[in-house]
Amino acid sequence: MRIHDLDGLHDIRRTGMMKLLPGKPRIGVGMGTCGMGNGAREVLQALGQALKDQNVDAQVTPVGCFGFCAAEPLVNIHIPGFPLVVLGRVTPDDAAAIVSSIARNRPPLEKAICKIEEWDHLTGHVMYGRGLAEVPEWNEIPFFKGQKKIVLRNCGLINPEDIEEYVAVGGYHAFYQATQKPNANEIIEEVKKSKLRGRGGAGYPTGVKWDLLRKAQSDQKYIICNADEGDPGAYMNRNEIESDPHMLIEGMLIGAFAMGATEGIVYLRAEYPLAVQRLKHAVAEAREFGLIGEHIFGTTFSFDIKLIEGAGAFVCGEETAMIESLEGRAGRPRPRPPFPAQKGLWGRPTNINNVETWCNIPVIIARGGSWFAEIGTTNSSGTKVFSLVGKINNTGLVELPLGTPLKNVIYDIGQGSPGGKHVKAVQSGGPSGGCIPAANFDVAIDYESLAQIGAIMGSGGMVVMDEENCMVDVARYFIEFTHSESCGKCVPCRAGLDQALRILKKITAGGAEESDIADLEELGQMIKEMSLCGLGQTAPNPVLTTLRYFRREYEEHLRAHRCRAGVCEKLYLSPCENSCPLHMRIPQFLELTRRGQLAEAAELIWLDNPLPGSTGRICQHPCESQCRRNTVDASVNMREVHRFISDQVFDGPLLAEIKARLKAHRMAPTGKKIAIVGAGPSGLAAAFYLTLLGHDVTIFEAREEAGGMLLYSLPQYRLPKKMLRQELDVIESLGVKFRFNQKLGAGVSLDVLEAENDAVFLATGTWKAMTAGITGEESPSVWHAIHFLEQVAREEPTNIGKKVVVIGGGNAAVDSARTALRLGCEVTIAYRRERHDMPAIPEEVIDAEAEGVKLMFLVSPQRVVTDKDSRVSGIELMRTKLGDFDLDGRRRPVSTGEMTIVPCDNIILAIGERPDAEPLRRCGIHVRENDTAAADWVTYETNRPRVFAGGDLVTGASNVSSTMATGKDAARAIDGILTGQNRFAELLQTFEVPQVVPEEPEGGARNVSRELTPEQRRTSFEEAMLGLTQAKAEAECSRCLRCDVHELATVKE
Amino acid sequence: MIAAEAKPLSQEIVDEIIARHPDKTGDVLSVLEEIQDRHPLKYLPEATYDDVAQKMGVSRSQVLSVITFYSFFNLKPQGRHTVTVCRGTACHTRGSKPLLDGLKAKAGFHEDDEEGGSATSFTTPDFGLTIRTVACFGQCALAPVAAIDHEIYGHVSDIKLRKLVAAIDGGKGS
Repeated sequence: MRIHDLDGLHDIRRTGMMKLLPGKPRIGVGMGTCGMGNGAREVLQALGQALKDQNVDAQVTPVGCFGFCAAEPLVNIHIPGFPLVVLGRVTPDDAAAIVSSIARNRPPLEKAICKIEEWDHLTGHVMYGRGLAEVPEWNEIPFFKGQKKIVLRNCGLINPEDIEEYVAVGGYHAFYQATQKPNANEIIEEVKKSKLRGRGGAGYPTGVKWDLLRKAQSDQKYIICNADEGDPGAYMNRNEIESDPHMLIEGMLIGAFAMGATEGIVYLRAEYPLAVQRLKHAVAEAREFGLIGEHIFGTTFSFDIKLIEGAGAFVCGEETAMIESLEGRAGRPRPRPPFPAQKGLWGRPTNINNVETWCNIPVIIARGGSWFAEIGTTNSSGTKVFSLVGKINNTGLVELPLGTPLKNVIYDIGQGSPGGKHVKAVQSGGPSGGCIPAANFDVAIDYESLAQIGAIMGSGGMVVMDEENCMVDVARYFIEFTHSESCGKCVPCRAGLDQALRILKKITAGGAEESDIADLEELGQMIKEMSLCGLGQTAPNPVLTTLRYFRREYEEHLRAHRCRAGVCEKLYLSPCENSCPLHMRIPQFLELTRRGQLAEAAELIWLDNPLPGSTGRICQHPCESQCRRNTVDASVNMREVHRFISDQVFDGPLLAEIKARLKAHRMAPTGKKIAIVGAGPSGLAAAFYLTLLGHDVTIFEAREEAGGMLLYSLPQYRLPKKMLRQELDVIESLGVKFRFNQKLGAGVSLDVLEAENDAVFLATGTWKAMTAGITGEESPSVWHAIHFLEQVAREEPTNIGKKVVVIGGGNAAVDSARTALRLGCEVTIAYRRERHDMPAIPEEVIDAEAEGVKLMFLVSPQRVVTDKDSRVSGIELMRTKLGDFDLDGRRRPVSTGEMTIVPCDNIILAIGERPDAEPLRRCGIHVRENDTAAADWVTYETNRPRVFAGGDLVTGASNVSSTMATGKDAARAIDGILTGQNRFAELLQTFEVPQVVPEEPEGGARNVSRELTPEQRRTSFEEAMLGLTQAKAEAECSRCLRCDVHELATVKE
Repeated sequence: MIAAEAKPLSQEIVDEIIARHPDKTGDVLSVLEEIQDRHPLKYLPEATYDDVAQKMGVSRSQVLSVITFYSFFNLKPQGRHTVTVCRGTACHTRGSKPLLDGLKAKAGFHEDDEEGGSATSFTTPDFGLTIRTVACFGQCALAPVAAIDHEIYGHVSDIKLRKLVAAIDGGKGS
């Protein structure tokens, strides 16, 4: 078996090739740990059994992992004459069909994800076969497009436990070549020429490092492979060893020969049992073939490899700590110098490289350093393997030329976040790295570019985070990790991380002060600058980068005691409550309703939200997307239950009782006077709470009635005026005073209001329509949605024609379309993106379509077309297609050059509104570039003391619950400032609700509101949705999983 | 029965393991790993590591320093079954913390997270079950991940994990 020379190597190569291309079908099953965790072992067995059952002659081989973890278990099938076909998500049940297809000499294509016609192993080449046009080539599918496999050149294609297959694709040839060089220095020159940099993270030039060891004088030199892949969230090295252990051994052999080392050690973490087993097997094979041992290839070169298992200490990835560990001690780093190349293991010169660095070496020797240096960028050559994990659709191992933009990895290869959630950040480089925000996703992945934005390449972990990950929690997570992994030798790291962790725990529990952030920053800098080793020097990076890019999230924890992601459990009641802008105690009103305590349920919802009938009908219901019941079947229909409670009050005998209950909450008069400008939802919410807090509140409204957009913009069929007026009556009954036809800057002046009141709250909304900037939009037949809707709400004639095109995709667009439809028009909505991008409530879009509204997507308005009498006759739209991803992960619409004219006689532009900033500017209130008022985001105070601003005026056009929330929060702040106390919490009376979690999900399928048929709806402004019946409402309540109940653990005696 | 197992490993086994590592004191880690693995309760009793120190010619303090430094070593007896919840970053982003907390609560462990909170291993008083964490299994694509007696389970939910734990030993484990 022993290979003595090139002929020997060629013999093995021929034998190995007979295994790779055996002249009969070959089935390779991906048997990495990931594959096995997904059932690859069972698939392998089932395939073997099916071959036996159907009496088919084929070879079944375990192979490594091809990298597409999201599609595991992966099986590849090669039938002579055809390309190799890669199948994904194979189950044992598929085995019979796969084998019967093979029996018919046809590659099974049912689960095929891609094919490989020929493969360049870089050290060798395999021609599988051409054909199967219907299956995409491997690098044509999103996950592999743009990838370049150098390190992973053999992974998933050869049997990792068979040295002959490795030799078949050119394995150990580079090593042979190296041993034939007259001067080993040539090898080091080649590595230098390749510009390969250390793949462990720090990126030190490998050739330079090798040169140091080569020049070191000693009777004994060591080389070490760092396979203690300790970064949580990274598993490149595990897969490299599991899938192709011989490339590591060959890399080390070449290195040992070049540097004159006689002993190699692989320090491999014990958490990777399969990698340990495969590497042990490979070392034994290499020894058997004479590639490890004495006088290799008949030369004077002798070398042995020893495998040491790490015992779970992250710091041992640091080279001097690893040496300590190998010498049988606790892994505490030593100061450098002396560097390991001078004085390393057992005091002898030592070189340490990461697994992936070693794995690149055989290719560099086989193809030449300059070939390698051509790949990647000038300063970062070659490729790097990344583990793409976390909140990403296509998880897996991705090998990319350095310099690839990060957004390609996230959106093209990774295909974004599951459920279409917004990707917020990527943590690169593990605990030593940084969080890269979506706004920086155009960064090139190379050593320098990543360092510039505060992150590092690190060993290649890329953990994707979406809107449901809290960045403060992420920082706390990493500090918890480095804190517990700190070796304790130097004070800055040991004590500094302890202090940092204390602060982070305080912040995530909502108990921190504003000075804590400055302390955290200062600590971070100190730890970075003063720690002994890499662990401490990089440990603050996650904190410093999240502080740099996500400071607002820290401030939300600090100042508003909120964790918007819903992770920091001390800061929220349940996911639904946390996602509700008004923070309604949803699980509690569900439980009260379920138990028949309707009056209590009503009191609770009113205290949380003073417009329950309106919001119960038209709220955007973000609660539903967060509902945990989604993981069982479908979310709880919380908004409909909310509406049910309110309808019960208005339609039944409870109204007087509720009014009395609310009045009972009113605190003693404070003698403070507050003026509110604007009687929309935000002003009304502020007025409600400030009145209950005992203040004397007057609302000044420009129009002749209260309600704002709810009254003048929301169509009757969604929100009947009668209902809204009943709600307003409740607010008025508490003592809120209204003064109508009072416009800021016209009838009412801020100076006077300020003089006569203790505080002023401005909530004048967004009543200025945005323009599209297209020719002809000034025509009287071109409407702006808010004007059109107000005209209809006032029951004034619109004289709208027969054919209408609505431009936009938000709620105003859908409301306008359905309103126009009811006025007898034929309506088309034209939206510039795709359906799932529409900001409108999805149910509204479905209903609009059912009523007969036509939808056009990917069109952008170009000009209004008029006839010879200057009457509108159509709108010209440009058809677009989806181009590159923007930094938010949405594909940009780009022109196709194709124009289309949609005939119409009216156009409604529903492309947004903004505030009228002029009156504010004249009062000296600071206004932002988008015309919104500049106010503090917690207190809502403007630059004028005691003058506050909220609602859409501050946030820009939003939705009813968000705008009410600003009024509610402003009321809390105003009261705090006026009274110097925190009395708001007292207002939110607590209700006794049993703390019992259902053992199994109850209540059956989701209950939905009764509604009129589309035929009834399309001609009538009668309310379309009729609400839940009592029985359905109660059933719906029992579907709640009660996330508000935090299971309290008991201490065992 | 459990109490009977909580005793030093036999001299013969210790001697046999040390004999396979003749050379350097550098093998202290490997020797301790093997010894712990051979102990029925997967831990290192004091008498055993004393024995190792003496026989390998390293100081008792060095051996103890190694044992306390690496998370792999246990000074306390472990349960007959072990559930390991991965606390790697990918698992964390996919909810391994609530998973671990729920599991601990179900098994009766309560610990104030804000104080201390550094313990990484919890064993029931009857030594039936140990709950522990690992920094990362490297199975990130399957996150969140838990292992029951070294068998890895991916995409674990609290309900799935509860069922897996209940099924240990055919339902007798916990």
